[in-house]
Amino acid sequence: MIRKFSIALAAAALFAAPAAAQNIKIGFSLAKTGLFAQAVPSQLNAYELWREQVNARGGLDVAGKKRMVEFVQYDDQSNPGNAVKIYEKLITDDKVELLLAPWGTPHHFAVAPVLEKYKFPMVGNTAASVQLREIKPGNIWFVTSAIPDKMAAELVAMAKANGYKTAGIVANVLPLAKEIKASLVPALQKAGIAVKVSEEYPPDIKDMTAILTKVKAAAPEALFVLSYPGDSVLYAKQAKEIGIAAPFQFVAVGPTMDFFGKVVGPSANGLVTMGHWSPAKADWKRAKPFYDAYVKKFNEKPDYLDTVVSYMSLEILEQAVAKAGTDKQKLRQAIASMTFDTINGPVKFQGVQNAITPTAFLQIQGDELQLVWPKAIATSPFKAKTGW
Amino acid sequence: MDALLSGQLLVAALVTGALYALTALGLNLVYGTMRLLNVAHGDLVMIGAYVAFWAFTLLALSPLLGLVAAAALAALFGLALYHGLFRRLLAGGKAAQRLEANSLLLFFGVSVIVQNLMALQFTATPRGYQYLDTVYRWGNAAITGNRVAAFAVAVILCGGVLAFLRFHVTGLAIKALIQRRDAAAIVGVNVERVQQLALCLGFASAAVAGALVSMTEQISPFMGFPFTIAAFVVIILGGLGNITGGIAAGLLLGVLETYGVALTSSAYRSILVYGVFVLILLLRPQGLLGGRRIVR
Repeated sequence: MIRKFSIALAAAALFAAPAAAQNIKIGFSLAKTGLFAQAVPSQLNAYELWREQVNARGGLDVAGKKRMVEFVQYDDQSNPGNAVKIYEKLITDDKVELLLAPWGTPHHFAVAPVLEKYKFPMVGNTAASVQLREIKPGNIWFVTSAIPDKMAAELVAMAKANGYKTAGIVANVLPLAKEIKASLVPALQKAGIAVKVSEEYPPDIKDMTAILTKVKAAAPEALFVLSYPGDSVLYAKQAKEIGIAAPFQFVAVGPTMDFFGKVVGPSANGLVTMGHWSPAKADWKRAKPFYDAYVKKFNEKPDYLDTVVSYMSLEILEQAVAKAGTDKQKLRQAIASMTFDTINGPVKFQGVQNAITPTAFLQIQGDELQLVWPKAIATSPFKAKTGW
Repeated sequence: MDALLSGQLLVAALVTGALYALTALGLNLVYGTMRLLNVAHGDLVMIGAYVAFWAFTLLALSPLLGLVAAAALAALFGLALYHGLFRRLLAGGKAAQRLEANSLLLFFGVSVIVQNLMALQFTATPRGYQYLDTVYRWGNAAITGNRVAAFAVAVILCGGVLAFLRFHVTGLAIKALIQRRDAAAIVGVNVERVQQLALCLGFASAAVAGALVSMTEQISPFMGFPFTIAAFVVIILGGLGNITGGIAAGLLLGVLETYGVALTSSAYRSILVYGVFVLILLLRPQGLLGGRRIVR
């Protein structure tokens, strides 16, 4: 269903006065309702903050000419099929000049052929899968460095560097978790780290007592919980109750989101999670101002994962458009060849992937998320988790 | 094997089961008395969770007090729906006969509207807070304070409603309406008043379940659906409209899920739950404690 607001916005744009014709229309669809709706505010907030900031600066620099940013947005109801139709409509009917990414890996995969068909370049953000390397390069790029196989290799390297010899895996059966697990198991074997317990669970899990009782009995030193936001909270709460004592506990998706800290509280201290950004990284000059602006606008911390990659994709688009304008051919070349200055440091693409940002991990230390791995970009050393 | 005998699994099974029982209780009351299939039931759980969340966050009110506000608000919502939507439909001849099927669509609409209004108002961002999160240990079992509280409230409420239905004259009237709607009217039961009361009670108990759930997990406008499904499984298992059966089935489902997963793997959870569900329906189509006369 198309949201009334979006229709009104599109209609307003169509019949707008000549003065407003200078606006640049930027289109996207997000999963505002349905299965993925909980994840979307992290991304939409980044879009809204960026639009506000750009317009406050007098508009988006389009090859030297400033134009105010106007969004044309729809709800795809968490359905990738809807996203396909909406992106076609955005390009052919709404005639937007730029596109922003939808939420999530399946939606990125779904709209990639549309981008290819119309030769319309788009910088992707909230997608992470080994399969994205198989997408034909040219019109889509991915800013994340949290690719499952790279993450698995780095997790094992981190566990080994800290001297852990036994491991446990508790994994959701959804794709990202499966992909990490598929690379993690052989990497652990290769590194000589014994897997003492390995459990899988469905996405609608409501109670982990049975699984965590087995984990507690196996007592691994490094525990990899390959979870999504909802089950990450469930894990943290029940692991505290049961008393999981592993000094290295990795919880995949969730701890970077503001609500996680509010629900789990100080007992989350010491959990390691995926993420390659921190406002504490002093040489990423744009990081702290972004963090401050976000907290000021939304009165909560940004998601260190989705909000950050979403905002990065906007910075990349902004810098490319400043140089190349909105001509699709020139824009494509600019995105593919330039080095961009983002809140996550410099970014340059090779094929569809970000070739500079290292795969990294964060750890909850007190009230902050600190980069603890790799050591080259760490903002704080890793500290073993001591109880809940 | 040690794990199976440990108190930890028993604690988990009882807490899960008690919450299932309480969630299903409201659905059962509404179906039993009015034959309305409330597929928006999980959304009432969500509303209750939000009321408790805001009461705690803005007013520093304990969720155990916030649940009273949640119950009152949900009951008012029930009353508004009754007068706005169902009263005329229930009174009409042909429309009333089709109401069971139509209520499914009506409540589906209510569900979509409620979810999206909440998402518009509060955004879809998950929210949560910490309350009573100290872990208590007895022997080899451990339990967080908020789960003890959720369990206690669920048990007291289920027990309270059962006692009300058994001993209070209005409770007996509700039961009469569930068992023989026409006969109840003939012997002088004020059908409309009792229906209203059952709807309010059903909505309120769902909201209380939501307030309890908000203490233990994060909440969002789209959290309700799994609760609707769980509640339907429970009331069908227990026998549609059979309040005692529903409570027993809730506890059974909790035990089944917890021990079933411990014996096999979490990956088999759905197969186990729905497998047993189908098996029981094959052997006893009227549900575990359901009487044939109730099933239509």
